[in-house]
Amino acid sequence: MADKPERISYAYVENGKTYSTVVGLFSEGKLVPLEGPYEPLPDDLIVGIISEVRFSGYSVDTNSPYVGFLSSREIRERFNMGDAIFARIVKVDEVKNMDIGDAKKLPEGRLVRVSSVKIPRIIGKKNSMVDMIRANTGCEVIAGRNGYVWITGKGDSNLAERAIRMIEAQAHTHGLTDRVAEFLKSHKKA
Amino acid sequence: MESLNEIKRDTLGALLEQGKRPDGRGMHDYRKINLQPGILQNPEGSAIASIGKSQVMAGIKFDVAKPFPDRPTEGVLSTSADLLPLASHLFETGPPSDESIELARVVDRGIRSANIIDLNSFYIEEEKVLALYIDLFILDHDGNLIDTAALAAMSALLSARMPKVENGKIIRGEFTGKLPVKEKVVTCTFGKLGSKSFLDPSLDEEKGMDCRLTLATTPKHLCAAQKGGWGTVTEKDLMELLDISLDKGNELRSLLRD
Amino acid sequence: MGGNSAEKPALLVNGKRVDGRGVEDLRSVKIVARVLNDAEGSAYIEWGKNKILAGIYGPRECIPRHDQSLYRAVVKCRYNMAPFSGAEEHGRSGPNRRSKELSKVIKEAFENVIISENFPKTEISIFVEVLQSDGGTRCAAVTAAAVALADAGIPMKDLISAVAVCKIDGQIAVDPGKEEDNFGESDMPIAFSPRTGEILLFQMDGNLTRSEVARGLELAKNAVSKIRAVQVEAIKKVYDEPKEDRFLLIG
Repeated sequence: MADKPERISYAYVENGKTYSTVVGLFSEGKLVPLEGPYEPLPDDLIVGIISEVRFSGYSVDTNSPYVGFLSSREIRERFNMGDAIFARIVKVDEVKNMDIGDAKKLPEGRLVRVSSVKIPRIIGKKNSMVDMIRANTGCEVIAGRNGYVWITGKGDSNLAERAIRMIEAQAHTHGLTDRVAEFLKSHKKA
Repeated sequence: MESLNEIKRDTLGALLEQGKRPDGRGMHDYRKINLQPGILQNPEGSAIASIGKSQVMAGIKFDVAKPFPDRPTEGVLSTSADLLPLASHLFETGPPSDESIELARVVDRGIRSANIIDLNSFYIEEEKVLALYIDLFILDHDGNLIDTAALAAMSALLSARMPKVENGKIIRGEFTGKLPVKEKVVTCTFGKLGSKSFLDPSLDEEKGMDCRLTLATTPKHLCAAQKGGWGTVTEKDLMELLDISLDKGNELRSLLRD
Repeated sequence: MGGNSAEKPALLVNGKRVDGRGVEDLRSVKIVARVLNDAEGSAYIEWGKNKILAGIYGPRECIPRHDQSLYRAVVKCRYNMAPFSGAEEHGRSGPNRRSKELSKVIKEAFENVIISENFPKTEISIFVEVLQSDGGTRCAAVTAAAVALADAGIPMKDLISAVAVCKIDGQIAVDPGKEEDNFGESDMPIAFSPRTGEILLFQMDGNLTRSEVARGLELAKNAVSKIRAVQVEAIKKVYDEPKEDRFLLIG
């Protein structure tokens, strides 16, 4: 099923047959996993939280059991503990330690943690979902490939969070875009 | 991480200053409460209570036991709590933590002080009394485990049946009627940050707050209290929160079926 | 094994067992997946009167550090019974010796199926809590844990389950209840990988001839394929009826 090592472990080959290792939808020769832990890959754009200020850089919480390190040399700003950043994974070594770069501090807001496989649906085709949430709540939604979603702005962040949870739960269904639009419209405060 | 909680304190504080809570609730609103009494067949009483996403199961079991030497005709009441590792990424396996001990003792205190169970009716014969064990199994942690556990315990007690005792032994599976419960005790737990108090703190709020205050009440009395955490409470706070507890207590009591 | 033979009830009368089942009949098995909010994956099983909850955490940082492996995730398992789970006395909190043994054999069953190489230095923790017990808890535990792992999206080679086989009044029967556990002549719990037919958990006590063992394995394999259907149904339901908040609803 998998040609390139995309999100690795979704398929397992034995005796010439390929089996899915996780719950997923199989259609048109592609396996789309419905659940699974986040496996970091280079060039992933993520939302991270600065968890430790170290001598030559920062430790970043990336919603995975692995350490992300952001070197001071990769950035111009200074960060504090607890700051949220939008960054790129530059390198992943064999034991999955990550080097992080291109980090930008995110404005004040709050963090929502979702299953990382649902992120593409939360972003939507050409950002359609996050745009719809912004239009109806006044909040910016920055979704990291690692499952961390940052909600910021002076709008209705509760409604934005509820919309994100709704997309997460129904990511695999049809007609979701319309249902989310309906949900946002009916709960929008005047 | 301790220091990340400092940050949470600032964010939470800013929201509270505007009279808002992270999930949009009012300052004195409970999250959705659901009770499922009598769901197990093996124990003499049982219940699951959920407040928001927190879930606690309570089991009531009777055994024949030796009374305490200074109270030879009184039954024994014992409450324990397990913060199960499957309930939260914050819980570890191992011996009971301070948190679980405090939880058990606070829930126990409310039930015991209000004297809602007549322990004198548990006497069987010389050196034999009934022991009533309340076991709190914390299944899912999203804040305010005390109120959730107290509701589960009270609901389980109300669903409990007295076992048949013959020749000093319990005949399992046979009962002599319901466990008589004189009153319904409920607890109201408030979080406090600076000068702001809020009822039923979620886990998110617990990470940022200074302290919590739990008040256990029957319709007209305060019967147990516990302040937890390093912050402080003023006299005015205390009386205000007591008034709110006596009021909210009735709401909670109405959810508990007889 | 076995209670007082003077009190031993007849376990098999005219092909019917104490609860009316035939020797090849399973008790009723119901599974609901995704019942806890904090755990990555979870499942609740009702197998006969057994009521068991399984929760999964991980892959997460492996603590203590010296347990870590540089090459794979370490699988950990804790099987525990609630003090109120038995029909008799109030039990004690925390795992006893039996629980620790079961934790080990269940862990070892899953170490075979979890594809752990993708998550070095981490741990995957399986927690099983028996809320109510009525014979065959370890098999129900394995069955629920497998669903919980699938719910968490932990990659596995197969969806496994387990069932026990017993000998009652000289006959081999599947899925012993508590009485059959106590008064039967043998108890043999087995976990299978249905796809390959491999045996991942195997324990036994009592006295069985070679052909009795073979018959037992056959009954077990048939039972496991029925149980697998229930597991798959539970997993599908999560997606057919998506919910944002999860609750453990019993009865």
